Amino acid sequence: MKNIEIIQDTNFIETLEEKLDIDGPFSSWELFKMAYEAELTTITSDFHGLRALEFLPHMNFLPHQVETAKQAIEEMNGRAILADEVGLGKTIEAGLILKEYMIRGLVKKILILVPASLVNQWVKELNEKFFIPAATFRKNYPWESYDIIVTSIDTAKRSPHREAILDLNYDLILIDEAHKIKNHKTKNFEFVRALKKKYCLLLTATPVQNQLIEIFNLVSILKPGHLGNYESFLEKYGKDRKKINQDAFLKQLVQKVMVRNTRKDTSLDNSKRHIETIWVDFSPEEYKVYNELDKTFQPFSTFSKITFLRELCSSREACFLSLQKFVNDENNHGREILQPIIEQIGQLPHHAKAQKVVELLQKIGDEKVIIFTEYRASQLYLQWYLQQHGITSVPFRGGFKRGKKDWMKQLFKDKAQVLIATEAGGEGINLQFCNYMINYDLPWNPMRLEQRIGRIHRYGQENDVHIYNFAIRNTLEEHIMTLLYEKIALFEKVIGHLDDILAELNINSFEGEVKSIMNESSSTGELKIKLDNLASIIQSTQNSWQEESQYGN
Amino acid sequence: MAINLHSFLENYFEAHHCDIISNQDGVLKIQLNEKMDRALMNRPFYWHYIKKMGRDGDPMQLTLITNQDSLEERGERIHFGSPRLQQILTHLKENERFTRLFQIIQANQNTALQPWLVVNIKISYIGKHKKDELFSIGLNLINGIMQTEMMESLYNKEFGMKISDFCYTITPIIKPKSGYKRILSVLDQYIQDLDHEWAKESLHELENEMNLLKHFYEGAHDEEIVQMEKELQDLKERYQPKIEMKVVNGGIFYLKGN
Repeated sequence: MKNIEIIQDTNFIETLEEKLDIDGPFSSWELFKMAYEAELTTITSDFHGLRALEFLPHMNFLPHQVETAKQAIEEMNGRAILADEVGLGKTIEAGLILKEYMIRGLVKKILILVPASLVNQWVKELNEKFFIPAATFRKNYPWESYDIIVTSIDTAKRSPHREAILDLNYDLILIDEAHKIKNHKTKNFEFVRALKKKYCLLLTATPVQNQLIEIFNLVSILKPGHLGNYESFLEKYGKDRKKINQDAFLKQLVQKVMVRNTRKDTSLDNSKRHIETIWVDFSPEEYKVYNELDKTFQPFSTFSKITFLRELCSSREACFLSLQKFVNDENNHGREILQPIIEQIGQLPHHAKAQKVVELLQKIGDEKVIIFTEYRASQLYLQWYLQQHGITSVPFRGGFKRGKKDWMKQLFKDKAQVLIATEAGGEGINLQFCNYMINYDLPWNPMRLEQRIGRIHRYGQENDVHIYNFAIRNTLEEHIMTLLYEKIALFEKVIGHLDDILAELNINSFEGEVKSIMNESSSTGELKIKLDNLASIIQSTQNSWQEESQYGN
Repeated sequence: MAINLHSFLENYFEAHHCDIISNQDGVLKIQLNEKMDRALMNRPFYWHYIKKMGRDGDPMQLTLITNQDSLEERGERIHFGSPRLQQILTHLKENERFTRLFQIIQANQNTALQPWLVVNIKISYIGKHKKDELFSIGLNLINGIMQTEMMESLYNKEFGMKISDFCYTITPIIKPKSGYKRILSVLDQYIQDLDHEWAKESLHELENEMNLLKHFYEGAHDEEIVQMEKELQDLKERYQPKIEMKVVNGGIFYLKGN
C-alpha cells in the first residue's frame, strides 16, 4: 500500500464552490444524469479482457488476432514483437492493441513509424477500421501537436524532427517492418532505442533473417536484458546462424516477447491458391535472336549477358534499351558486334508473352487482374499493347508518390481491369478486391514472389486466388522455373521457412546466390547443374528440418 | 452497454432543445440549434464568418441511425464505439460536471428541503493493467449522513433548476468543502482495506525488469548510462502502481426529508 501513489481530485470542489458563489451555470438533471450514464458505459471494470471488441462491432476479427492482442497486453504488458506471417493481419492486431489502450485511457500520445509507402494506408486503416484519429506529419505543425502520428522512420530520424521527437514522451511507439532496425549499429536502431516510450510494438514478418543477434537486438529495444547482455548472448549463441527453434530455452525466452502466427496454425486457408505455370514458346524469329545473343562471343561479362537475356524474355523494349545503352558507352569493347542484334530486335514482331497475356485475360473475362513485371520498359509496352486490344490498365511503381499510389489503386478498383506493377511496387499495396495475378516474369528470389502473392492473398481475401506464372521454354526462364520454383516446391508454402533454411546454409541473399551462379557459369549446361545443386541442398535441408520439427517442439 | 442508445440520443438532443424532425424505425432526424451545431459539427470557420457578416447562420440537420438492420442510406450509422457517439459522450462528460438542483414537489404547505452534496467519483487502479470503479456518494450537509449508490436513489425523483412553490431550503451546517473531505476519507479507508494484489504484481514486474536492465548495462559508460536512466524511467511509467480519483460530476441537491 505504501508503494502506491494516490492522486486525489482537489480541483472539483474548488470549482463547485465558485459556481455556488456566482450562481452557476449548472447542468440540468437530465444532462447531469446522462453524463453519469456516459461514464458508466465507458469505464473499464476489469483488469482483463478486450473492451475494444465492443467498440468495433463492424469488425470481424479472427480468433488468432484477438488472442494475439490479448497476449500482447496482458502477458507482455504492452511491449511485444508481432511476427505473424505475411497476410495474417499484423496491422489488425496492432490496431486492436492501440484501441484497447486508448479506451482504457493508458495511451494518448502515439508515434507510428512505417515505410514511407505505407504511411497513407496506415492512417486510412486506423481511421476507418478502428476510429483512431491518426494523422500524417505536415510541415508547419510541430510534433507535439499530434496525438497520434504516422510517419516514416527516415523523416523522423532527420534533424530537426529527430530532436523534437526525442524530447516528447510517447505512451506508445509502433514500428512496422521492424526488421529494418535489427542491426544495432545503424542510426535507425539508435533512434528507436532513444525514444521515450511506455509501450512498444514491433511488427515484422521476418524477425530473424540471418543471424540470431538480430532477434537479440529487437528484444533489446523492448526488454533490455531479457536475453542477457550483448557479450553474454554472443558467448552463448555465437554469431551462428542457428534457428531459434534449436535452442529450447532461447525459444521460450523469445516467446515471452514475441507472438508468431503462421498460416498453418491459423488455418486461414479458406481462400486457396491456385497456381498454374503458363509455358510460352517464342516465335522462330524470337528464338533466333535469343540464341544469337546467347552465343555471342562475349564482349561483356556473363552477368550482363544474363541480364540481356532475361530482358529479352520480358520484352523487346527492355532488352533493346539496355543493349543500346551498352553500345553507346564508348568504354565498352567489342560493342560493334551487338549492332546487328539490336537491329534484329527492332524487327521482331510482338512479344510471345504479351500475346499470351491478352489471350489469358480474354479467358479470365471480366475480373480484376494484377500483372507483375520486373522491367519498366515491359510495363510501358504491356500497357500500350493491352490498350491496342481494348483492355484498360493502370501502371504502378514503387517510385510513385504516395498520393499517386492511392489514386492508381482507386482507378484500378473503380475503372481499369488490369494493374501493371513493377517489382518495387510490390510492397505496400493491398489489393484484396483482386484475385487474379499474372507473374509476367519471375523474380529470382522466391521471397519476393511470396510478397507479390501476399498483395492479394491476405487477410480480407474472400475468394480463391489464381496465380499464373509465365515462363518461356528453352530459355533462362525455364531453368528458373523448373529448378527453383517447381523443384523446391516453393509454391507449397515452405516459403515461410525459406528464411530459416537459407540462414542455416549461410546464404545471405538468395538472389545474389543465383546471380553469382549465373555469373560463374560459362555454359548453359554448367548453369543447369549448379542451379540443380542449389535446389537439392535447399531441398535436403528442408527435409531434415521438417523431420526435426516433427520430433522437436 | 448500460444505456439504451436510441432513447439516450433522443433525450440528449431534447435536453439540448433541438427539434426532433422524425423518429421511427431506429432512424432519428434532428434539427440542431446553433449551440449544438458548434458542439458537434466541427465547422468553426463557418460560424466565424457567418457571425462576422452579421447573420444568424443555418444549423445543420443530423440523421442518426441506431438500428443496425435499417436499410436507410442517408444518415450516419451510430453505434457503441462510433466516433459520433464518442463525441457525444465526451461532450457530456466535459460539460455536465456541476449542478445544483431542487427536488420538484407539489406542495401546498411550507416544505423544507435539505442540502446534499452528491459526488460521482471514478477510481482508477493503474499498474501493469488498469481498471476503474465508479462510486456515487451523497452526504447530507445537515446531519452528516452518508449514502452510497446515491444516483440510483435519485432516479425516481424529479428535479428542477428552480425551487418549487412553498418550498424553502435549509442552510448547510457542513460546508461543501468539508463534506467533500469526509467523502474522500471514507474512500481512502475503502482503498486502504482493499487487497492490492494488482499493485504487488506490478511492483514485482517492475523490480524484475529493473534487474534485467541493470544486468544489461553492466559495465556501461557515460552515454550508455544516460540511456539506462531513460529506460528506467520508461519502466517506472509503465509499472509504478497508482490510484487516481477523479470526480465525474457532482453538486448540491436539495431533497425533501423522508
